[in-house]
Amino acid sequence: MNRRHSHLPLGMLVMLSWRNIWRHRRRTLITLSSIAIGFALAVLMIGLNDGAHNSMIRNAIKLGEGHLTVQPRGYIEAPANHKYLTDGTTLQEKIGSLDVAGRIEPRISLQILASTASNSVGAGLEGLSPQGDQRADLLRPQLVDGTWIEPGDQRGILIGDGMAGKLKAKIGSKVVLMAGKQGGDSQAQLGRVRGIFDSRVDELDDYLILSDIQLARRFLEGEGADPALQPITRFALFLDDPDSLPEWKAELKAAVENDQVVVLDWREMMPQLVQFIMVDDAGNYIFLVLILIMVVFGILNTVLMSVLERTREFGLLRALGISRYHLLWLVFCESLLLSLLAVGIGWIVAGAVHLWFASHGIDMAALMGGSTEMMGTFMDPVIYTELSGERVFQLTLLIFAATLGSGIYPAIKASRVTPVEALRT
Amino acid sequence: MTTIDNDSAGKTAMALLTLQGVDKIYRQGELEVRALQEIDLTVQEGEFAALVGPSGSGKTTLLNIIGGLDAPSHGSIQLNGTSITTLKEAELSDFRLFQLGFVFQAYNLVPVLSALENVELVMVLQGRDVRERRERAEHYLELVGLEKVMQRRPAALSGGQQQRVAVARALAAGPRLVLADEPTANLDSENATALLDIMHRLSHEEKTTFIFSTHDRRVMERAERIITLRDGKIVSDKHIGQESHEQMA
Ligand SMILES: Nc1ncnc2c1ncn2[C@@H]1O[C@H](COP(=O)(O)OP(=O)(O)O)[C@@H](O)[C@H]1O
Ligand SMILES: [Mg+2]
Repeated sequence: MNRRHSHLPLGMLVMLSWRNIWRHRRRTLITLSSIAIGFALAVLMIGLNDGAHNSMIRNAIKLGEGHLTVQPRGYIEAPANHKYLTDGTTLQEKIGSLDVAGRIEPRISLQILASTASNSVGAGLEGLSPQGDQRADLLRPQLVDGTWIEPGDQRGILIGDGMAGKLKAKIGSKVVLMAGKQGGDSQAQLGRVRGIFDSRVDELDDYLILSDIQLARRFLEGEGADPALQPITRFALFLDDPDSLPEWKAELKAAVENDQVVVLDWREMMPQLVQFIMVDDAGNYIFLVLILIMVVFGILNTVLMSVLERTREFGLLRALGISRYHLLWLVFCESLLLSLLAVGIGWIVAGAVHLWFASHGIDMAALMGGSTEMMGTFMDPVIYTELSGERVFQLTLLIFAATLGSGIYPAIKASRVTPVEALRT
Repeated sequence: MTTIDNDSAGKTAMALLTLQGVDKIYRQGELEVRALQEIDLTVQEGEFAALVGPSGSGKTTLLNIIGGLDAPSHGSIQLNGTSITTLKEAELSDFRLFQLGFVFQAYNLVPVLSALENVELVMVLQGRDVRERRERAEHYLELVGLEKVMQRRPAALSGGQQQRVAVARALAAGPRLVLADEPTANLDSENATALLDIMHRLSHEEKTTFIFSTHDRRVMERAERIITLRDGKIVSDKHIGQESHEQMA
């Protein structure tokens, strides 16, 4: 037999599908608007979530050890005062020669015991470099009592209000800073409280002691370091462009890494924070699932209803000689057009909502009752929605996948219609 | 392939349609309905034949089987040289598209397409080019007297107009055989006879074979051959006005 097949040009396919989806104008509009509104809401919540997380990360990096950290190998696994970089001068020259676009801050971090006549508490002593320190910039405005330490101040320390309470220390109080040495002995330095800060992050207010780097370095000397070589615990690097992290990390690794020295990024330095955000992102997935359900049911309901209403028409088309396959495409194309419209309208609404909140922000501090601290970091009080290209892609893809999924069943159902049964009504 | 049977004695043309020993049994659980029993039928090219009989006599079943919409339980069907019972589903679908025209009792048209687009649709599926199908569609709509309402959608057409669009659609696609199952059942008698007159005229002008079912006396009168079914059997098969028909053929 001369095999002549049925044809269905794309133009005809699209024209028929388009007209079919507008057969029930109201039903289609309700479906589209519910998908669009749900989508906009989801984009807003996801944007807010991403904005909050990114804010936490930015602040954690500022309060922490920078985007990139150069420190002794093995320190992160088991921090100890005797693990330090013996030759700070040479390392600083090497790092400096890379011309990193950003700030390089030498730091000394020590675990100590802080004691007054009233009490003793475990503390982290951080030596601030006179070259500048991000943490100083952040905490200086949070000073609630006394003055900031002057560069070269050999005794001055700054403590949080939490620690001040525990030690019953005031401005001018003497605090003994004691540290264990590697051999089992201990060493001590005398500090004097110059100022008290209140960062609103309890982890800092209860634990952190800031001093000039000179005071902190004396403990390293006690461990046997040569002060002439500017020994330090680490360098913290703050990049002007956080997106350039992978490139700088690679360059830095090539320049300084060896058996004693390691280069870590903020994710490696703060694995708990990374984990927290991952878990918290589950909130996002709830919204993703919500849109998914809306899209699936919206399209399934609309298209399936219209398929069931048109059984007779499909029977007619099949009798006239349209192929099963073309009928399947015809109905599938209706779902596809519907979802294209839904995504289009959805993005217009969602985009507008996002742009508004990206420039006006939402006062999270008010919503969360004042404190926005979490995981040793904090959220900016006003959060602006953030929407990465990756998210846009992900959300769009998700809706299309959902459409494909929900469009298949009605299409198959339509293609299974047998003319004889359909026409016998 | 079988040719002539006794009824069409004197003619040497090959039969367009031959049914031999066609049975159709519907099973509904334990119950068996013999909708058609041992149907033997031959239809020549150009015939204008009516299938008559009371409701439930098997007219629809027979037309569906001839049209490849339903399969017989037994027997063979040759249509235009093809044994359609041996065709697969997809082949049957294409066979209908290129060889057959259908007119049903109602809801013949796709509601979202205009009269013109409905007529064009089958030709689109056939793969004809835009110009050809537009010209043919307009031509056949003129032949059925609908040139003024070609752009209207079915909802804006009367029942009689809708049926005429269906006839135009069937013919525009250039079929060998048009099957019409009670095409006038939903029409008043004036519209019914008008539709039959159009079908009859076009059958001659286009030399297209028609088989239509009806139980309307006035409609039957237009036929050149009346095949009567009762309880799934052919109980009579009469040629009427054979003279004029043979002059045409
Ligand atoms: N799908 C089916 N299942 C069971 N019985 C059927 C089916 N289709 C038709 N029949 C039976 O077959 C017989 C012939 O029906 P039909 O061809 O529709 O007759 P007509 O068109 O002459 O009214 C009737 O008894 C009808 O009930
Ligand atoms: Mg019937």
